[in-house]
Amino acid sequence: MAKPLHELSIAEAGRALRAGTVSSVALTQHALARIAALDPLIHAFVLVTRERALADAERADRELKSGIDKGPLHGVPYALKDIYNTAGIRTTCHSKLLLDHVPAQDSVVEAKLKAGGAVLLGKLATHEFAFGGPSFDLPFPPARNPWNLDHFTGGSSSGSGAAVAAGLTRMAMGSDTGGSIRGPAFYCGVVGLKPTYGRVSRRGVFPLSYTLDHCGPLTWTVEDTALTMQVIAGYDREDPASADLPVDDFTKGLGQDLTGLKIAYPRAFFATSDGMTEETLAALDAAAQQVAKLGATVEEITLPAFALFNACGRVILTAEAYAIHEEELLSRPLDYARYTYMRMILGATLSAPDLVQAFRLRRELTTLLNGEVLKKYDAIITANGMSAAPRFDEFDPSMPAKMTLQTIPFNVTGNPVLALPTGFSRNGLPLGMQIVGRAFDEATVLRVGAAFEAATGAMGKRPALEAAIAA
Amino acid sequence: MSTPDALDQELDMLLAKAGANVPPHLKAGVLAGYRDMKAMAAMVHGSRPATHEPSNVFSLKNFRSA
Repeated sequence: MAKPLHELSIAEAGRALRAGTVSSVALTQHALARIAALDPLIHAFVLVTRERALADAERADRELKSGIDKGPLHGVPYALKDIYNTAGIRTTCHSKLLLDHVPAQDSVVEAKLKAGGAVLLGKLATHEFAFGGPSFDLPFPPARNPWNLDHFTGGSSSGSGAAVAAGLTRMAMGSDTGGSIRGPAFYCGVVGLKPTYGRVSRRGVFPLSYTLDHCGPLTWTVEDTALTMQVIAGYDREDPASADLPVDDFTKGLGQDLTGLKIAYPRAFFATSDGMTEETLAALDAAAQQVAKLGATVEEITLPAFALFNACGRVILTAEAYAIHEEELLSRPLDYARYTYMRMILGATLSAPDLVQAFRLRRELTTLLNGEVLKKYDAIITANGMSAAPRFDEFDPSMPAKMTLQTIPFNVTGNPVLALPTGFSRNGLPLGMQIVGRAFDEATVLRVGAAFEAATGAMGKRPALEAAIAA
Repeated sequence: MSTPDALDQELDMLLAKAGANVPPHLKAGVLAGYRDMKAMAAMVHGSRPATHEPSNVFSLKNFRSA
């Protein structure tokens, strides 16, 4: 039986578009209809750009028919976390403070997607300013987890994770400062890539923490992430952190087994961490064994304590976020969601030596990871979340939300990390892992991820949303 | 280790210095966050002699893949 349109991957949709067996308008109308039916339950979108989407799709069909091919996303619908500037289209950061903000210019990523002929479906929910959350005291509700609507999506790219998991879009852009792509990928059971720091321009994306922010995609398959990277990666002289390196062929390792790769498995780094569940740990051990079966040599290693990476990242993130929001935090405290405010105001308590020492520690940790571990190993497999998505009602609105994720170490070091599912918890929620690579070697983490995905069929099951509508 | 009262006073002093008037209903949450942030800030302070400098964060020369 033919797949429903929303289950076609970017690669499959691209082949069908070029063969003329499906049109971009058909893909777009299907996506818009699905958003209309499902998003009232999921709240992944804060704005649907219906007219723009249909105009983009009609143009893509005309171009493809006349032999103009703008690349792998040509004619393919996508959506953007609502911190990416879109010229003439409201960009709110999910905040009361920017409710009427309509940028004059596109973010670099949006400009690249537009130039690549992709079709913008709309703007996606986020935690306010890509921080805090899950918050119910904002102008838009928080996105809900398509696997169980009573559960959290992770954040801050909450709408991105939810929209991809629900099959509302094949690709959604997210951002990741402490795990904001990889957390939603873990909780929502999708693929998410935090590229190397400097690989994708952040210009025109609302900053959270200048030296930790990364832009990257969430998709249903590893191949779709690789194809998206082909469009969005590249040097931007106006992003001071952008790396002046050629764009790699991100698909070059896809379809290969893992023979010859050496993979590090820092089990002690996460096995006894707060919140680690037996089923998450068992799924990680099974994943490491699977990677070995695919031909890689997997060896257990040790890393410095997670708490050290976490302290380093949190001090930098909090100081930099406060620097961005200082004026509004002091003058309009009640216009922020309570979670955002409770976390950001702490930047006022940090000293200059705290930040400088955090930067110095970052250098030590980065040197260790790259100069020792990743000199010997091609990649690292490690934990992402410690347990499946919590219920919304487990969060106490009067206290800052605590997350049991081990994602921030690789914002500190800047390495590329692929998050992908490993299976499901007993209550039917996704579990997952991270694959960490050498700087600017996204191709290897994608190779490992694609081999694992193909071997396990991890993406074969989708949320039963039609049942939720019927209920 | 600060007592709860001392921690509260310390936080009040730092926030006052910054010019922040924390809404009363958020104070307990901010205080809880401050306890954690203070511990994390202490953790990043280590013994790093001057020879550790210059402290550039990333170097493409060192980290570019082979």
